[in-house]
Amino acid sequence: MSLTGATNYFEDFVVGDVVRHARGKTMCEQDNVGITLMVLNTAEGHFNEDLMQRTGMGGRGWNRRLQFGGVTIAMVIGMSMQDTGENALAELSLDKIRLKSPVFHGDTLYAFTEVLAKADAEQPDAGVVTFKHWGVNQKDDVVFEGERRVLIKRRSHYAR
Amino acid sequence: MSETDSGGTDFRARAKPRPKGNRFEDMHEGRVFEHHWGRTITGGDNAAFTTQTLSFCPLYFNEPYAQALGHPRTVVNPLLVFNTVFGLTVEDLSEGGGPFLGVDECRFAKPVYVGDTLIAHSTVVGARESKGQQGFGIVTWHTVGTNQHGEIVVEFKRTNLVRRRGDAT
Repeated sequence: MSLTGATNYFEDFVVGDVVRHARGKTMCEQDNVGITLMVLNTAEGHFNEDLMQRTGMGGRGWNRRLQFGGVTIAMVIGMSMQDTGENALAELSLDKIRLKSPVFHGDTLYAFTEVLAKADAEQPDAGVVTFKHWGVNQKDDVVFEGERRVLIKRRSHYAR
Repeated sequence: MSETDSGGTDFRARAKPRPKGNRFEDMHEGRVFEHHWGRTITGGDNAAFTTQTLSFCPLYFNEPYAQALGHPRTVVNPLLVFNTVFGLTVEDLSEGGGPFLGVDECRFAKPVYVGDTLIAHSTVVGARESKGQQGFGIVTWHTVGTNQHGEIVVEFKRTNLVRRRGDAT
């Protein structure tokens, strides 16, 4: 018996494949306020509803607590993790991360991924996969996009 | 009732604001910020963050699994490492207000384990006026997160809109 899936080893990824990941997640106070303060992010626009109602974030009309972008990044990559990193040995890098639209409590996010590239690693038991991720809300607006490189186990070395 | 306890209003009149954070004018290229506090990552932090973000890789919540892959303890979710190092920078860099636009060249240099302590510092690598956003500049910082041994565990470039002085909101 294996603790991880059998269909997400390095060999399984095909450049150009695009996946819509199972499971959306509705953003709530626990996600935004909880993680923002857990990581000591002191920007009160993420946790002071009164301030946001009064100022609308400098006239942007963002008159509710705005979700911290770090939470959005982690949530979208998290939603992709079972398919793209369950058999990871290490997360290597993130790049070209862009937050395209604001996220508020009550918004529901979905994750999409394209396999951009595959390469051998220095070690023989794993390979490097480059992914492009998108996060989309319930109105189909792209809220997040970015690239990520992951060192992933080769089936030839790990699966039995 | 004493003079200083006049129905609860006096403390408001006497209070002086103690604002936090910096503004665009404070962000000149090359300025280095050694950020406050540091943060020891507990097992509770790691498990809560990982499960709450649906980050389903057992390295981050199954200790024997992590050990079987050569790690001494449960690995801290790299997105938690990134978020914590980011969080430590906020008072100095971006609490003054302005949306977070993006991150480039984020590199996870070394695994972080439960019980490790993260420290952050940043350097301003770019500061320019925003053409489209009145009252804001665009600033890019190079942020470095280290562990308690001074080893780099994560580094990245972050870009924000940063409010200028004189904008009351």
